[in-house]
Amino acid sequence: MKELPNQGKKQTTDSLSEIMNIDRLVHSPARLSILTYLSVVEEGDAVYLLNQTGLTWGNLSANITRLQEAGYIEVVKEFKDKKPHTVLKLTDRGRQAFHEYQNTMKGLLDTKNLSPASGGE
Amino acid sequence: MDNPDEKQIERRVFTSFFQAGFIEAFTGIFLLQLGLPALFSRSGFGDWESALLALPIALILLIIVFVVRRFVVIPRLGHVKFLPERRRRLSKLVLVPILTLIAGAVVGYIFSENASLRHTFVGQIPFSLIPIIVFSAAAYFLDMKRLYVYGVIVGLTFPLGKYLETVIVSRNALPATILFTAFVFLGMAVVFLVASLRKYQEPEV
Repeated sequence: MKELPNQGKKQTTDSLSEIMNIDRLVHSPARLSILTYLSVVEEGDAVYLLNQTGLTWGNLSANITRLQEAGYIEVVKEFKDKKPHTVLKLTDRGRQAFHEYQNTMKGLLDTKNLSPASGGE
Repeated sequence: MDNPDEKQIERRVFTSFFQAGFIEAFTGIFLLQLGLPALFSRSGFGDWESALLALPIALILLIIVFVVRRFVVIPRLGHVKFLPERRRRLSKLVLVPILTLIAGAVVGYIFSENASLRHTFVGQIPFSLIPIIVFSAAAYFLDMKRLYVYGVIVGLTFPLGKYLETVIVSRNALPATILFTAFVFLGMAVVFLVASLRKYQEPEV
């Protein structure tokens, strides 16, 4: 079937609107990294995230606060061997937001959408 | 977790908790526990005396390993609770000691029926197969391919020792080969531990 002249253009417009609607809270590299490493475990502490993400304490702390405020992660502060210990867990909302972000990005980066033939350059 | 990338990340995170040389240390201690009594018994000590002499060395080394893990490595790596799928796989690790016990019982029975078999080259085959089976099971459940190689190395140690015993005509060739492999694993454990400590610095809060 022959493609209509406006069909490729419409697809590009859809992709662009999808980009505009992407969850910017998840889109930040630091927060995306935190969510990724929390998504592969049930829970992990701040030291685990610090090691895996390679962020600094300050950066990690600031981004954890933002994700906590959005309800994407749950933070439990406790004492372990008389030392403060912060345990972090991805909430159901956070897991859903993370998977939605993954699916959206996969859709956007799909070669069909990016190929010049479809007008998605 | 259906996404292959996520699986890859989860596997990388999981294996990063086993990069500090503990598997190597346990393998080394296990081999030491086999090699030292064999050496002592060939030096004139009885079987029980040899085992009792080697036991404190293994216990001291095990205590050192646990203390280093608890107070040095874990505070640097952080605490993690893995997903139920991974925990289920880990719980299946209980099959490893069960397999060892069954295999050991079978070998013990065969040798009790035919004691002369113990001193032949063929008699070393069960000693090769047990570590290969045990390490392969551990490799499968822990999802760590290097354990297959360890199984083969440990498995080959016994026939190699027996072979050297006949070639260089030395009573101590078998225990020496086992101890050599033990020290190789203990050396690897130290190297992995140092590398891990260099990679993961003590966090400054």
